Amino acid sequence: MKLPPNVSKADFAAALKAFAGIVGDQWLFTSDEDLELYRDSYSILWGETDERTASAAVAPDNADQVVELVKVANRYRIPIYPISAGKNLGYGGAAPALAGSVVLDLKRMNRIVEIDERNGYVVVEPGVSYFDLYNYIQEKGLKLWIDVPSPGWGSVLGNALDGGVGVTLAPYRNHFDAQCGIEVVLPNGRMMRTGMGALPGAKTWQQFRPGFGPRIDGLFKQSNYGVVTKMGFWLMPAPESFATGVVTVPMFRDIIPLVDIVGRLEQSKIVQGLWTLSSPTTGTPGFAAHEAGPSKPQDAKILAILNDPGGVDMGKLEAAAKSSGLPFWACDFNFYGPKKLIKAQWDCVRDAMREIPGARFKLGEIRRLPLPPEELAKTRDLGPLGIPTLKTFDLGPMFSYEGEDVVGHIFFSPVIPRTGEAAIEAMEVFAAVARKYKLPCPPLQFPSSIFERAFLFAIGLPVTRSAVVNAKIRAIVSELVAISAERGWGEYRTAPAFYDLVMGVYSYNDNALRDFLETIKDAVDPNGIMSPGRYAIRSRHSRDADV
Amino acid sequence: MRDEAALHTVSERHAQMVTRRVVIGAGLASASVACAAGFSAYSPTMGPGRKTGPIDALLIDETTEPPRQMAALVKEAGWTLPVVSIRLDASGQAGLARIFDTSHAIVGISSGATLFCLERIAWDHGFRLTGRSQRCANDPGDDTFQQDVTALLSGSHPPAASPSELTRAYRPSRADGMLHAWVMRKSASSYVCRRRRDV
Repeated sequence: MKLPPNVSKADFAAALKAFAGIVGDQWLFTSDEDLELYRDSYSILWGETDERTASAAVAPDNADQVVELVKVANRYRIPIYPISAGKNLGYGGAAPALAGSVVLDLKRMNRIVEIDERNGYVVVEPGVSYFDLYNYIQEKGLKLWIDVPSPGWGSVLGNALDGGVGVTLAPYRNHFDAQCGIEVVLPNGRMMRTGMGALPGAKTWQQFRPGFGPRIDGLFKQSNYGVVTKMGFWLMPAPESFATGVVTVPMFRDIIPLVDIVGRLEQSKIVQGLWTLSSPTTGTPGFAAHEAGPSKPQDAKILAILNDPGGVDMGKLEAAAKSSGLPFWACDFNFYGPKKLIKAQWDCVRDAMREIPGARFKLGEIRRLPLPPEELAKTRDLGPLGIPTLKTFDLGPMFSYEGEDVVGHIFFSPVIPRTGEAAIEAMEVFAAVARKYKLPCPPLQFPSSIFERAFLFAIGLPVTRSAVVNAKIRAIVSELVAISAERGWGEYRTAPAFYDLVMGVYSYNDNALRDFLETIKDAVDPNGIMSPGRYAIRSRHSRDADV
Repeated sequence: MRDEAALHTVSERHAQMVTRRVVIGAGLASASVACAAGFSAYSPTMGPGRKTGPIDALLIDETTEPPRQMAALVKEAGWTLPVVSIRLDASGQAGLARIFDTSHAIVGISSGATLFCLERIAWDHGFRLTGRSQRCANDPGDDTFQQDVTALLSGSHPPAASPSELTRAYRPSRADGMLHAWVMRKSASSYVCRRRRDV
């Protein structure tokens, strides 16, 4: 039997017995076969001594059981690691951040506690998946939408706590920003509610985020200060209509005014749907889908420029695009709401973008929602319609790297400034790294506008079952993190193998932020039992052990 | 707690998911699985052997053509068995959950990507992958795959020595052009995922 670090066999056995006493024997998992399921399928440390594997798992049914389990963990100094659905593959999955931890599997806690159509919110437990919530809303016929990440099997609550994002309207896309009210079991076993929830019998827990006094909800995002057992979320009213409009601009450096103009439109809340940047030179479907005729076959000259082993020469690509009659950039805007609002928003976009010489515009059909099933069946990407799927698992073109089967991916996900200049720089910098290591990346990669005021530049890196190849990928990530930090770019989220690496670059004033987070850790979790190592927030015990 | 109206809706959806009831003949049940020629890979755990129990459903990946062809072949044979389209979308989730809740053994034909997703969903319902074979999806006319499916359906294959060996042994891809036939059995004493509860 695998033991948690610094825990005796006798203490571990006593703790497991106490855990079973709380949840029942059938909800305590200690066999190798069961614990195999708590490995991260996308682990970049798979099969290595440093792989973070669990010593046991325990699955409570309710928050009261969580309280009791946490008290036992404190008594025996057992590190516990709460997971919700455990499906955030690429960001740790169901595996703990510290090897030997006991996974606190919260899947059984899958109650939709409250849903309010009138005020547009829901309260969920950790085990409620996007599929669950979507299906519940459909079954009840509620006029509400959810914002979903690309794989829909994840936990609504867990995705938000991990910093996950979706693709509908800006106020809902950043899932933690859409939360309102948290119930959490603190590491000492005490239950707490944030915001208005601190008022017994509160009637506005999900309606007023600031509450009274400091707003502390953010302490539970990407951290290890407690087990979140309930969370409220603001939901989007089901929109009447949906449309996509495409703006194209001809020149490579047109991206600079384009990003500035869209930024003004977003800051003014005129553009609220996700907009997607692409280049028609690559034959991106996002653009072709909105062309009047069939998509153009890719020009051989353009193809040669894109596949140049020395990198894409943007000057040559611009000239080739021009001679082929292709614009350099395309920008797809998603619009939601009444038809007249969509038309008005589109008019504003068009008026603003006319500043750019050669800009062209095409608004697609404004479709009444909900779409009929036969039309939904033909829709490639259901995320913008708030419908969860697992289609993303069908899309991965990678299946081999360095002669090894690709079994998954991890993301390197820096946040870069929302300017055209930064987008160009990031494209150049990351493409150079991709060429250097022959990574299976497309020749042109684009920043994403998921965040309202900054770009996200997510790069998928292959995960294999080869320790040698995985070590190479880890080294590449280290290089990417360093290159980014030199430019003032930092990651918004990372896989557990890189928690320390990434936290290490958030080092302003001799690591003042990390020191502050660890001061809090020492205060609320003196025994260091709660998710040790998560997001590199370490307890005193862990720090002392390293000295 | 879950309300009855919602349960009824799920049940109706499940009824739609079960695309047809088919009959698999005794001839299929006794078919040999010894021939592995033509396969790009073949799990060493597959082969003739003891029966491991009845199969409750055949799941087919609707995103690729060969599984649909296989379902048609199964239809020509003799046992009563639900044939269910695997739909990894919101509408398919409730039906899958019901299949997992009410079954003890299921056979499927799918891409590696679909198997990857389905396996993880099945874990939460106490299922483990216990047998699997694969072949190139663009290899028409090869009847060994059909024989393999037959063996899985008839339960005449031994369980894998370790489920983890099987889970590690396939690419979770659709782009690699491989097709997988597999069996999952409910082996855990309890399962973590329960039907969604509404308070």
